[in-house]
Amino acid sequence: MEILTTIFSFVFLSQVLRIFTPYFLGATGANFSERGGVINIAIEGFMISGAFCFTVITVISGYSFLGISFALLINSLLAVVFSVFVLKLRLNQILIGVGLNLLIAGLAKFFMMYIFKSSSNTPRIDEIPRIPFLESIPYFGNILSDYIILFSLILISVSQFVLYKTKFGLRLRSCGENPEAAETSGVNVHSYKFYGILISALLSCLAGIWLASNQNSYSDGMVAGRGYIAIAAMIIGKWKPVNIFWACILFSFFEALEISLQIIPTGIPNQLIQMLPYLITLLVLIGFIGKTKPPAADGVPY
Amino acid sequence: MKISPTKKILLSIISSVIVTILIVFLFIFILGKNPFEIFGLMLSESFGTYYGFGQILFKATPLIIISCGLAICFHASLFNIGGEGQYNAGTFVFAILLIQFSSMPFILAFPLALIIAFLTGGLLGFIPGLIKVKKGVSEVITTIMMNFVILSLINYFLLNFFAVKATVHTEDIPINFKLSLISDFIPAFKGSSLNFTFFIAIVIAVIIYFLIYKTKLGFKIRATGFNEIASGYIGLKPAKVILISFFIGAGVIALAGINFVSGYKGYYEFGFSNNIGFSSIAVTLLAKNNPIGIIFSAILFAFLDFGGLAINQIIPKEIVLVVEAIVILSIISISKIIDMKF
Repeated sequence: MEILTTIFSFVFLSQVLRIFTPYFLGATGANFSERGGVINIAIEGFMISGAFCFTVITVISGYSFLGISFALLINSLLAVVFSVFVLKLRLNQILIGVGLNLLIAGLAKFFMMYIFKSSSNTPRIDEIPRIPFLESIPYFGNILSDYIILFSLILISVSQFVLYKTKFGLRLRSCGENPEAAETSGVNVHSYKFYGILISALLSCLAGIWLASNQNSYSDGMVAGRGYIAIAAMIIGKWKPVNIFWACILFSFFEALEISLQIIPTGIPNQLIQMLPYLITLLVLIGFIGKTKPPAADGVPY
Repeated sequence: MKISPTKKILLSIISSVIVTILIVFLFIFILGKNPFEIFGLMLSESFGTYYGFGQILFKATPLIIISCGLAICFHASLFNIGGEGQYNAGTFVFAILLIQFSSMPFILAFPLALIIAFLTGGLLGFIPGLIKVKKGVSEVITTIMMNFVILSLINYFLLNFFAVKATVHTEDIPINFKLSLISDFIPAFKGSSLNFTFFIAIVIAVIIYFLIYKTKLGFKIRATGFNEIASGYIGLKPAKVILISFFIGAGVIALAGINFVSGYKGYYEFGFSNNIGFSSIAVTLLAKNNPIGIIFSAILFAFLDFGGLAINQIIPKEIVLVVEAIVILSIISISKIIDMKF
């Protein structure tokens, strides 16, 4: 009973939306990249670099907007690096993605030790300031006044609109489905693929920034596979923005449940509850979906 | 200019090692440290002494076994990132079984525990293989998810049923199931943990070499990995080959725990693996998936790992993680560049 009353509370719903934010940002980013035909496994790494760069500069300067700008800048550079590997050299996108993930995770660990002499976490930072006039909204003021959460809620319709109703979206999708045809009709395939990668890097960066700001620090391993879960959400959402939204809501629902279960004494051991998000992801991948159908030229170097 | 495939492979390995060294030296230099001093210290502390050399071979042992398992997967173009989970699961099962088998003779208990550890790992590899074949979901996602699930499960079983009170490790295995230290035969290695498992690892590498390059199954694995669709046309069953390679590969990875359980500590300890599952990806790629090459590449990475401890005072040892990632990125890109040029 206690669990049911917990689920139908505003606190729980707010919790779902908070967990939802980094997943949806990452999944939407991954979707833009894959719609352009580039498999981006590096979402995890982009999130780590976003969270880490944001925290470092915020700690040093004391201004979160400097941290945000720096993180976005670094992630844009990483997008360029990724693009050189997969577009110019036409290398295996999955291998490069995993390599980048290891590189970014390693660099974050290294610089954490180098700058802060700690292997676990950075000094505390303040949360990003909120939107003042939205804070007074009853019940949801706390959620809606958070810039990044609000942005990710708006992103649902924006990504739907951009992908299906704009010239950019049509061209991007054509690069993912049939790059030769797109090139023939005058689309610069490489630059569109790059835009896809850049969007994924920036959105994952926001996801990382949000995680760090919400936790008031960067700690080692805090991204904890969220980038991969985001990609799973994109697959389950069949590369469609609205479905991706529901897939992310599904994952966040279970994770919020996990957190509630840890607080309410249920008799279920903690270690088993902790694996829930990953187990649910696997089970959903196994059971609920038919054979997945990515964009036709997804992952094919061009 | 045309050169033979073997030369191409050697050329790409050597050039990526050089490129990595250059990048890392530059990186250290930018941080205001002297890269030559650091590298020199690493060399003298490791290869300079018998103890250091023994430790390097000791650290290389699990890397060799895991990388051989990965090599099978990679030859089939299966990017198994689940090494960490498969390695932990195999080691945990192996230790638990040896404790249960305390009344059996070594000759019976040891192989039996090994076979069951192999099957455990194999099953854990089979699952992402099945999801890939049936649903088309990339094994990268599923193996990562499985890592989290497997480690949580082990943690649960360990703490609730098997751990010695107030620790995160199991009881000790019976003393007669422990393998001899090399220092028992060659006193110069005294103090190093190098043990008989190193020779088991070499044997595994040779067996996997023959499996991949000299058997029909190996041919099928390589053909499927090279071109899944074409391999279907020549009468192979890609789905079946994918499942078999994932099973054998993950099974071999699960064997790497011998080194820690029978050769070193004598128990399973949570967190013992220390991301070796990920380092092995770099080891395997640098060796171009060749098991004999893996032996040397594993020794190189073990040197980095051990040498990292020596330089920790000057520069954080986490730099080794950065080096591993740079090796991965450079071997992939340089192989491609060399392929295009020659």
